Amino acid sequence: MTPAEQLKQNSVTLASNAQHQDGLAAHRGEALDKLRLLPFPEKKQEAWKYTGLNALTAGQLERVAPALSADADIASSIPSLGDCLIVVGNGVLTGQLPAPNGLSITPLSADSINDASPDTFFGWLNTASLSHGLLLKTEPNVKVAGIVHLVFFNQAQTPCHATNRLQIELAEGSELTVIEHYIGSGPILTNALTHIQAGANSRLTHYRLQSESADSLHIGNLQIDQQRDSRVDSSQLMRGNVLRRNDVHVRMLESGADLAMRGVFIARDKSHIDNHINVEHVAPHCHSDQVYKGIAGENGRAVFNGRIHIHQYAKGSDAGLSNNNMLLSNEAEIDSKPELEIYNDDVKCAHGTTIGQMDAGQLFYLRSRGIDAASAKRMLGTGFVNETLHAMQDEAVREWATQWLGEAL
Amino acid sequence: MLEVRDLHAAVEGKEILKGLTLTVKPGEVHAIMGPNGSGKSTLSNVLAGRDGYEITSGEVLFEGQPLADMETEERARAGIFLAFQYPVEIPGVSNMEFLKASLEAVRAAQGKEPLDAVTLLRRAREACQHVNLDQQFLKRGVNEGFSGGEKKRNEIMQMMLLEPKLALLDETDSGLDIDALQVVAKGVNALRSPERSIVLVTHYQRLLDYIVPDFVHVLADGRIIKSGGKELALELEQKGYGWLTGEEESA
Repeated sequence: MTPAEQLKQNSVTLASNAQHQDGLAAHRGEALDKLRLLPFPEKKQEAWKYTGLNALTAGQLERVAPALSADADIASSIPSLGDCLIVVGNGVLTGQLPAPNGLSITPLSADSINDASPDTFFGWLNTASLSHGLLLKTEPNVKVAGIVHLVFFNQAQTPCHATNRLQIELAEGSELTVIEHYIGSGPILTNALTHIQAGANSRLTHYRLQSESADSLHIGNLQIDQQRDSRVDSSQLMRGNVLRRNDVHVRMLESGADLAMRGVFIARDKSHIDNHINVEHVAPHCHSDQVYKGIAGENGRAVFNGRIHIHQYAKGSDAGLSNNNMLLSNEAEIDSKPELEIYNDDVKCAHGTTIGQMDAGQLFYLRSRGIDAASAKRMLGTGFVNETLHAMQDEAVREWATQWLGEAL
Repeated sequence: MLEVRDLHAAVEGKEILKGLTLTVKPGEVHAIMGPNGSGKSTLSNVLAGRDGYEITSGEVLFEGQPLADMETEERARAGIFLAFQYPVEIPGVSNMEFLKASLEAVRAAQGKEPLDAVTLLRRAREACQHVNLDQQFLKRGVNEGFSGGEKKRNEIMQMMLLEPKLALLDETDSGLDIDALQVVAKGVNALRSPERSIVLVTHYQRLLDYIVPDFVHVLADGRIIKSGGKELALELEQKGYGWLTGEEESA
């Protein structure tokens, strides 16, 4: 048996053991059937060309994450970013669910679960191993006040698998600001799946903050479906660790949808981070704008694959994607690949990618004013991503991000 | 203050300075003039410690300390300031943030308390006013989108805040119109003091109408070939560099 076959078998066994009789049993069973049919991701598949999953042979797919010990001090590691805090520890909700005006927050049930899982191996594994999911659902034409801060805290001493599942549904004309925030430590694999459905004329401000410690692993799927005239503003901040992989899939299903998506990813030391973004303009007259900035230092490794797919009937599409990257050392590596697929001729589409080093002239200028080399590099790295951080709408998150960036650089 | 003794320096293996000797005492203003390619900018960059500018023999002492042993930032903290010929644009880093980091580093090295935010801002605004730079420039990225004259004034503004012991002005006058030149000169003159030395590196005599030097040196082919008082600059203005270097020159 090859290592990939072994990992596949481990995944299937993990999911099989998760089967039990509750409301979600049928969904889990179907996902397990799907999982059995899919090959385990390997470098020979284009989508996994730069990311090997050998790290998972340590046993992350052999055990479900144990419940957090009662004395785990989660609270002290959570910054105060929002007005409404929800904490999920190793996949299980801790504490009570708050009930802000205009928003219902409930466990995900058989009736409410969105079956259109991202069609990826780990997406199906997520559903097949799911027992606790969360559903956030707004009431129509209501602006939910404040920021909902969802913390997914995953921590373990030995390799194991934690399933995090979030479904966000914005009813017509509603507005919501939500942070999904991943923290924790240890050799635990976070398998996160977030499904967002932005209803007609709704507005979502979304943050995806991934700041687990360097010894953790994270494979995430983010699916965003947009309906008529909806607007989604999504900011994604990611720090490299043993293994980080994010698949983001946006479908602009009805006309007038607007997407602003930005991200900053930083791979230092020996960390790894892989972003696969796919934005599909299915309906006409939608607008998408993506800006991603990457930094890799020491032996860090980052991957960015940004695909824009304009469908045949998506006339009048306006899509932009830029990915600029900075290398801090000779050993660091960033592989960036923008992909455009356009099936009609009435589109405006721009994409570009750059990879450069820190500018020696800028570094000298700062040092000639007394600023030491390490601080100067930090300033230049911060300057490089600053415009992306400044574009984030909420000040509390911006401040957190600035501090996060300082620590990461 | 500054002792340069038989300095030889190379850039990418090519010797540019070939035995330069210069002594600058506290309170003195020296002008170093010379034709293009004579080594003027190399001297500035060697003194500031830019990578790739290698001292091959001779030595440079700043207040008795060999500069070769000091990193670029250590030189700045010891009190050396280089006003760049081509100030660098740094988008994303605000001028104010940069000034704060710079002042904190330099003041800490000199055993001074960091300035509180209010004082820092007040001083920065005063310095801006002194060089006719709108305060809006404090919020913008360092030199980002500044015109040539604005960049040079930004250099002088930083110099006024950092109060260096030794200020090196590398062709600060080049590309400036007369009005901007006067503003820059006013800023430099305001810094003249018995404790501070200033070295002006320039191609043109024009700047010396506004900043009157104590000494003028002519640099050619990596050496100082003639030194004199301020009247030497006027002589150069009339005769060009050719009568000293023995070459035809259209300056």
